Amino acid sequence: MFDTSIKLALTLSQIGAVMGVVLLTVAILTLLERKVLSWMQDRMGPMEVGPYGVLQPVADGLKLFFKEDIIPAGANKIMFSLAPILVLVPALIGFAVIPFGPNWTIDVMGVEFKPFVISDINIGVLYILAFASIGAYGVILGGWASNSKYSLLGGLRSAAQLISYELNVGLAIVGVLLLAGSLSLVEITEAQAGGFWNWFAFDPVPFPQFIAFVIFLIASVAETNRLPFDLPEAESELVAGFFTEYSGMRFAFFFMAEYANMILVSCMSTVLFFGGWHAPLPVLQAPGVFAWVTGIFWFTAKVYFFLFLFFWIRATLPRLRYDQLMRFGWKVLLPIALGNIVVTSLLAYIFPNG
Amino acid sequence: MKLKKWIQSLIFYEILLGMKETLKHFLKYRPITLEYPHVKKPLPENYRGMLGLLRYDDDTEKCVGCDLCEAACPSRVIRVVSAEVPGEPTKRFAKEYYMDMTRCLFCGLCVKACPVDALGMSQEFEWAVYDKRNLQLNKEQLLAIGDRAFPEREKRLEFQHPNVAYFNVSFKDIPEKEF
Ligand code: SF4
Ligand code: SF4
Repeated sequence: MFDTSIKLALTLSQIGAVMGVVLLTVAILTLLERKVLSWMQDRMGPMEVGPYGVLQPVADGLKLFFKEDIIPAGANKIMFSLAPILVLVPALIGFAVIPFGPNWTIDVMGVEFKPFVISDINIGVLYILAFASIGAYGVILGGWASNSKYSLLGGLRSAAQLISYELNVGLAIVGVLLLAGSLSLVEITEAQAGGFWNWFAFDPVPFPQFIAFVIFLIASVAETNRLPFDLPEAESELVAGFFTEYSGMRFAFFFMAEYANMILVSCMSTVLFFGGWHAPLPVLQAPGVFAWVTGIFWFTAKVYFFLFLFFWIRATLPRLRYDQLMRFGWKVLLPIALGNIVVTSLLAYIFPNG
Repeated sequence: MKLKKWIQSLIFYEILLGMKETLKHFLKYRPITLEYPHVKKPLPENYRGMLGLLRYDDDTEKCVGCDLCEAACPSRVIRVVSAEVPGEPTKRFAKEYYMDMTRCLFCGLCVKACPVDALGMSQEFEWAVYDKRNLQLNKEQLLAIGDRAFPEREKRLEFQHPNVAYFNVSFKDIPEKEF
């Protein structure tokens, strides 16, 4: 009984800490995105709230919190209120299996406790993919329940897009799973210890997964509905796509889910292809008990690099047309991903100790 | 040649070029933004802003109530009610003068039409209001705009041109004409 309560308290505090960091990152990202975009476009971005506009997320949050919550006439109320939750919860729940530090087990009053991963389940990758698919339900239901043609069109588009690109995400990961021999994100990270030449994106033997990484990146940009694949939203054609009719906190849920999803896929590409918390060179890793400091540092640095990449791509590329999106997903990415699996498995069979 | 094209599309060459360009702007960050309420763009000399009625340097109104501005205005902004100056039958003035600035297109024709230069266009443009009735201006408001926008005032016509014909017989203290 005592053990259980300690375990509960530890896990709850860990979940609280991770959620706090993720939501804080979401708040930072909303500002950072606008800043980075405007810097790339020779603008200034938000400058009014606080010095250089750093308090803008607070102002945005307050504004959304106090806004009127409108449910359109003819909307399906239950589905309409359920959809934002269905989108946000899967986006946040995925962080449960992400290891952001060394795989240590410490003993707190007789209870085993892993400080740097909430739960190391042996099907971590599958778990994240499964919950990402549930997020698609939220998008479709939100679009359908709003009783508006823009929302419905946005929802349908995103249904097609999410299904097509989820496939590519899954197939791109298979190569890594073959090399690591595990579905647990902790073990995948462990398999990439050492320098950057051991990271799956670069590991020369048996086969570098860089192509798979590029596919994963493109497909995950599409999964998170970011430019250039933001067809579900498509401000200029569909008003705001599936969340046209949403306002106030429900809109904020969709917004937070989008950013949380971005963080999640950045974490996933870090863990799967770029060595997780491992430093690029062994000398950059602090020894012994301080390994977690550099571990968290490198993990954060890699995740923020990918987030920057998201903004960078958004500032560079225009939106794809719908048929281009579908053609690219099915006729270009899918064959390459399948080919990557074939080549990887063949080479992994030939060089089993690569 | 074909091979080169092939390789280029394989490594997303065009996209990488575009990303290089955005990164260049990101690293060499030189915003062209003017932070408007704090920093204002200098206006050109002949900027056509808010209209105002002017006065002479002895605080008398320039407007003689001739209605020419009303006739010139293409959007019927102006309404002049002209009247005799009480006790001075040869002199007229605008008893009431209204402008509906919601319709004004700032063409400046009224300024051009006025025979005594009684209208002026200031450099004011921050006239956004919550209630559009606040843009129906009367004579006092227009005079106030003229007063604050044009602090340098002209002398009365009679003093500007000593040889101007004297039609205003009721004008007290008629100065000596210079010949
Ligand atoms: S500026 Fe043009 S539109 Fe405005 S009051 Fe004068 S004549 Fe009329
Ligand atoms: S403003 Fe000028 S044109 Fe208009 S009524 Fe007065 S004197 Fe005449």
